[in-house]
Amino acid sequence: MDNNKALIPPVAVIAYSALSACGQGNMALYASLIKNQSALAPLNLFNVPFRTNVGAITQPLQGLHRNLIQYDSRNSRAALTALNDVDAGIRVAIEKVKSKYGSKRIGVVIGTSTSGLYETEEAYLELLRTNNMPADFYFVKQHAYQATARFLQVELGLSGVCYAVSTACSSGAKAIAAGQRLIANDVCDAVLVGGVDTLCRLTLRGFHSLDLIAEEPCKPLDKDRQGISIGESAALLLLEKSCSSNSSDMRLLAVGESADAYHMSTPHPEGLGAIMAMKNSMVMAGLSFEKLDYLNLHATATKINDRVESAAVYSMFSNNVKCSGTKGITGHTLGASGALETIITLLALKYQFIPGTNGLDQPEDNCKCQVVKTPIYNQNIQIAMSNSFGFGGNNASVIVGL
Amino acid sequence: MNKIFFVKSFSACSPDIEFFGNLKLQVSDIDKTLIPVDMRRRTSLATRMAITVAKNSCIKASVQTSNLPSVFASLGGEIQITDNLLRSLNDDTELSPTQFLNSVHNTTAGYWGILNQCQAPTTALSAADDTFAMGLMEVCVQLQSYGGDCLLVCYDEIWPQYLAPPKGRIAFACSLVLSSKADGALASFTMPQIDCSTSVSFSEEHKVLAESAPAAAAIPLLLALQNKNSACLPLNIISPIWSSELTVF
Repeated sequence: MDNNKALIPPVAVIAYSALSACGQGNMALYASLIKNQSALAPLNLFNVPFRTNVGAITQPLQGLHRNLIQYDSRNSRAALTALNDVDAGIRVAIEKVKSKYGSKRIGVVIGTSTSGLYETEEAYLELLRTNNMPADFYFVKQHAYQATARFLQVELGLSGVCYAVSTACSSGAKAIAAGQRLIANDVCDAVLVGGVDTLCRLTLRGFHSLDLIAEEPCKPLDKDRQGISIGESAALLLLEKSCSSNSSDMRLLAVGESADAYHMSTPHPEGLGAIMAMKNSMVMAGLSFEKLDYLNLHATATKINDRVESAAVYSMFSNNVKCSGTKGITGHTLGASGALETIITLLALKYQFIPGTNGLDQPEDNCKCQVVKTPIYNQNIQIAMSNSFGFGGNNASVIVGL
Repeated sequence: MNKIFFVKSFSACSPDIEFFGNLKLQVSDIDKTLIPVDMRRRTSLATRMAITVAKNSCIKASVQTSNLPSVFASLGGEIQITDNLLRSLNDDTELSPTQFLNSVHNTTAGYWGILNQCQAPTTALSAADDTFAMGLMEVCVQLQSYGGDCLLVCYDEIWPQYLAPPKGRIAFACSLVLSSKADGALASFTMPQIDCSTSVSFSEEHKVLAESAPAAAAIPLLLALQNKNSACLPLNIISPIWSSELTVF
C-alpha cells in the first residue's frame, strides 16, 4: 500500500500461525470462524472450585528437544507446536530471513501474561509439601515472563533482540508494536512477534475473585453477558521489512497505544484510553477514519468492557464500521489475544469475510455499533483493526492492510 | 552511524543504602511521601521502589509526567505478591482480588499512569539477565520513532530464595529520563548493540551484585553518569554482551 502520510513504515507479515482451542493452524481457526462455532468447553485440565468453560488447546503439544528441557512448560510447548505448523510455514520463513539477514538481525518479542506459571503452580504444591522446589524447576527459564521468547530464540538459533512484553491482555498487541518499531528503526530486519498464554489456576481463580468469570460460555456484547471464558493460544507472526520479495504479503500498518490512567481493573468510563489507542493507530497509519473496513473488538463479555468499548468505537467511527468479537469462539486468550485476534483480522482480509460474534443473541440496547452476529462473506476489506485492552488500563489497537 | 540518544536525569533506590554506599553509588531509600497513602497500602516493595526512582528522575529532569511515555523493565515484577497467591492456591478459598490485580507485570506501569494522570503509552517488559539492556533498547526505538522524552524504570524486589538463588537477594531500582533531544542533557549514548569489537565487561564486584539484583545491570552506566566518565559500557552480565557508548557532557 502506498501511503505518504504514515508516521511509521508498514512492515510485511510474511508468515503467521495460530494454535488455539480451534485447533492447529490458520485453516482450523478459519474453519471455526466461518462456521461461527464455539470451541469453548468445560474446564478439565485441572480443578478449580467453580464451574466454567474454557478455550483449551486439546491436541497434543510437541515436546522440547532434550537439550532445551530446562525451558519446558505448557507455554513453550504451545509455542513450539505453533512454530512447527507446516501449513503456516513460519519456521521455514524464519530460516529464510535468517540466511538473508543473519541471526543477529532477527528479533523475538513475545507477549504473555503468565508465561510458564502453570508449571510453577505444580512446583509450589511440592514446595508446600516438602519445603523444597522440585529438582527440575528452573524459574528463570520456565516461569519468568521472557521464558517462551528466549526458548524460541534458542530453538531457532537467533541471537539478536529478545524480550517479553507483559501488559496483561494487551501483551500480544504490544509485542507486535515493538516488532514494527525494531524494524522501522533498523535494529532488526525481521522480528518474530506474537502472544503465547496457557491456562493456569492462578488466572482462572484470580478472575473469579473479581467476579468476572462466566459459568456458561461467554456472550460478547450480549445484553445478558455474564463475564469471560478464558482461553489459551500460541499466536506467532513473522514481520519483515518491506522489500520486493514480500510485496504481495499483507501489511502491519501501525499499532496505536495508550494508557487509561484511571483504575487498575476498570476501564475509563468514557473509554478515553480506548479512543486514544484507536485514534493513534489511525494517525500513525496515516489513514482517515472512513478507511477502516472491519474492527475486531476486544469484546471480553464483561459488563463494563463491552459497554465502554462499543461506546468508544461509536464515538470514533459512528456506526460505519462492521465490528465483531471472536472470544465466544476462542475464549479470552489474555496475553495472546492481541496476536491471535490480529491473525483473525488477517484472515478476514485474506478471505474477505467478516467473522461473527458467537454467543451474541440480543445486543445491549445502548450499543450503537454495527455489530456482526453471524459471518458475512464477499466483502471488500482493505484495512482492518484489532483492539486489545488490558488491566492497568493498558490499550493497543493494531491495524493491518492488504 | 549509530544513532545517538540523550540522558536527562537518573536516580537509584534500594532499602539497603549502606550496601550501595560501599559501591560509592548514590542510592536513596523509598520515599513514602511520593506515593499517596491509599496507593502505598496496596503496593509492593517493587512498585514503591520503582515509583520513587521514577518520580526522582522526573523531578531532576523537570519533565511533565502527564504526557511522558514510559517503559518498565523487571525480571520478576510483582514476585512477592505472586508468591503469596501461589501459596494460597493450595486450598479452595477465594483469592484476594486486590492481590490478583496487583500481581500483573504492568502493575507498576498502571499505578504510575494513575498517579500522574498520564495517558501516554506505557509498557512492561522482561528479558532475564538482559532486562535492563532490552528496556533501554525499547526506549531507544520509541524515541527514534516518536521523538520527545521517555522514562525508563528498571527494578526487581526481594525474591523468595527458593526460586532462583541468588537472584532477588538484594532489592534495587533505577530510572533514567531519556530524550531524542540534547537540550539540558547530562550525557549522550548510542543504541545498545551486541558488542564484538571491545572487551567491555562487568567488574567481578558488579557482576556478583547483578546476579543478586537483576536491575543492578544498570550499575556501570549509573556509576559512569555519576562520576562523569565517558566510556563504552556493558548493559548485561551474560554473553552476548549488549553495550552502549556513553559520552558525558
